[in-house]
Amino acid sequence: MLDSLGQFGGALWGFMSPGILFTVLWATFLGIVIGALPGLTATMGVALMTTLTFTMPHTQAILVLVCIYVGAIYGGSRSAILLNIPGTPASACSTLDGYPLARQGLAGRAMGISTAGSWLGTLFGTLCVAAFTPVLSEMALKFQSFEFFWISLFGIVIAGTLAGGDPLKGYMAGFLGLWIATIGQEPHYNYQRFAFGSTDLAGGIGLLPALVGAFGVAEVLQAMRGPAVKAVSSTIDSVIPRISDVVQHWRTILRSGAIGTFIGILPGLGEDTAAWSSYAAARRASKEPEKYGKGSVEGLMSAETGESACVPGAIIPVLTLAVPGSAPAAVLMAAMMIHDINPGPNLMLQTPEFFYQIVAMLVIADMSKLLFGLTLVRPLLWILLVPRERLMPVVFVLCVVGAYAITSRVFDIYVMLFFGLVGFILRELKFPMAPMILGLVLGDLLEKNLTRGLVLSDGSLLPFFTRPVCAVLAAITILSILWSIPAVNQATRGLFRRQPR
Amino acid sequence: MAAETPSLLPHEQPLPPRKDLWTAAAFLVLGLAIVSLAWSMPRYKEQKGEIYTAPGLVPGIYGLIITGLSIWLAVRSIRRGAHSEAAATPETAHDGSSNLRLALAAGLALLFCVGLIGRMPFWMAAAVFVTAFIALFEWRPGVPWGLRAKLLATALLQGVVTGIAVMLVFEKIFYVRLP
Repeated sequence: MLDSLGQFGGALWGFMSPGILFTVLWATFLGIVIGALPGLTATMGVALMTTLTFTMPHTQAILVLVCIYVGAIYGGSRSAILLNIPGTPASACSTLDGYPLARQGLAGRAMGISTAGSWLGTLFGTLCVAAFTPVLSEMALKFQSFEFFWISLFGIVIAGTLAGGDPLKGYMAGFLGLWIATIGQEPHYNYQRFAFGSTDLAGGIGLLPALVGAFGVAEVLQAMRGPAVKAVSSTIDSVIPRISDVVQHWRTILRSGAIGTFIGILPGLGEDTAAWSSYAAARRASKEPEKYGKGSVEGLMSAETGESACVPGAIIPVLTLAVPGSAPAAVLMAAMMIHDINPGPNLMLQTPEFFYQIVAMLVIADMSKLLFGLTLVRPLLWILLVPRERLMPVVFVLCVVGAYAITSRVFDIYVMLFFGLVGFILRELKFPMAPMILGLVLGDLLEKNLTRGLVLSDGSLLPFFTRPVCAVLAAITILSILWSIPAVNQATRGLFRRQPR
Repeated sequence: MAAETPSLLPHEQPLPPRKDLWTAAAFLVLGLAIVSLAWSMPRYKEQKGEIYTAPGLVPGIYGLIITGLSIWLAVRSIRRGAHSEAAATPETAHDGSSNLRLALAAGLALLFCVGLIGRMPFWMAAAVFVTAFIALFEWRPGVPWGLRAKLLATALLQGVVTGIAVMLVFEKIFYVRLP
């Protein structure tokens, strides 16, 4: 315990240089701006900055990305409160009570609640990262290929089932992502799959150009197609959070923190599910449920705490299992791989100092977010008023630079464009994006572990079902698929429904 | 209460069944194509390769799953009335959405990537793209020429500033190579 605290203190101290603190400040600020601007999401911000920071030392690059992630999830609440338009999908829940509060002339108080809830949520989640990651890593060290295969598949299926909308389309998106990950040379015979003689395709689809396309370009297209955002009122009361708002709702904060972190740990779900689940739980437990949706302080606090606790929560499975808990965490994991950091159970053995650095990064990003939350009101209002016609071309230029930056291949710009179009069409057809990203990120892991497992078992499928952890994961995976079939779902509910006497 | 608070899972309303049917058809074609291409991949039997290390095995499984899921989607959309007359009625447009704006944005993006990049220095390509993008999207009929000239000048200024800033920030600070 003392040793861990010492290592954490050392990691935190390591970041206390003016240069790194300046990096923390600009990255968090940029994250808040990205989150606040409707149309730009945390995933896009992290993907874009991954490519643009890859020449930095790895600790600094990951620090930038963590700050962007933490800042963007918080920043989304600004436009949710002031414009009634969620800056990121995660902030959709905050519009329910944030905007009514703003309309009552309490925009500053709403932003104060958002700041306090978000700060405490991330702090709660970070404590969970510090407490649970070493334990989970130790458990995961006993896993073999069979378990990792199921963890990957479980992640994609769970993301498909619960990421929102239609589970069937979620599965389709997930397997589409997995298939895309097979394009290029395969690991056993270096056979070029689906390359059609193209040397560029034989090199595989770059993960980051695809992500920058599916998020950045698709979001530019969506923003330009959609209606213009209306101007906001600029009269704002004090944004300093009230102590009474925090003390009065301590139960809500703890509950939402726990729910947000837990949902973060589940692969692929992410901050929007965390916010809605925390909000629903808070309303069920509330003494004043009738105020929800009309400007409830408790409702806004629960949504903000839940979504922000999800950020560290989503990093826990990255560090322990190499399975991301959310879409931005998937990109963060890809960034770690690019910087030769191997996320997964061996991380605690090979580079334990990196784990403590991640905890320290989350803490200072959270503090930086608090600082901006208390001070940065007027400049953010101006930024929110930048018309999309002037913002989106700049975002697109950055997407192009980002897609090209890693391998300096013009082909990657075309990949970005292609995935931008595919991402846009899939969104229009109501396909969730999180399972596709998870498929892209986990495709390699899944294939390697499936074939390695089959080689180890001499082609037998039995160990995939008989090993204890595998059996549990297989059962949950199969049950969640069955649960998403309406007929099975209704029949099961019918079985457990209490019969009237 | 329920009327004022949206449903707790805010994800989109389902698509009209006919759109789902077309989507299923596209995925079915893709799934079958993947299966066919995976089947035609070598199995390396002459190198004593096992079936589970065959290059086509994993993508073939994905192809089969995509095929199966697309059939599920097709059946579901037919059950929901994809063949009915009502399903054929045109969908009402999104509030305030514009396919013209979408086409213009996509066209400009394509022109930038295919037509400008590589033919001139990146900062200049970015400046041309940003200026054209702003000028076209802010074009309103009936605006006095004085105001129009001002808008064009600010668009040009933003384009040039973006191009130069991107070049300076990414090449000099982040050491990122530009296209």
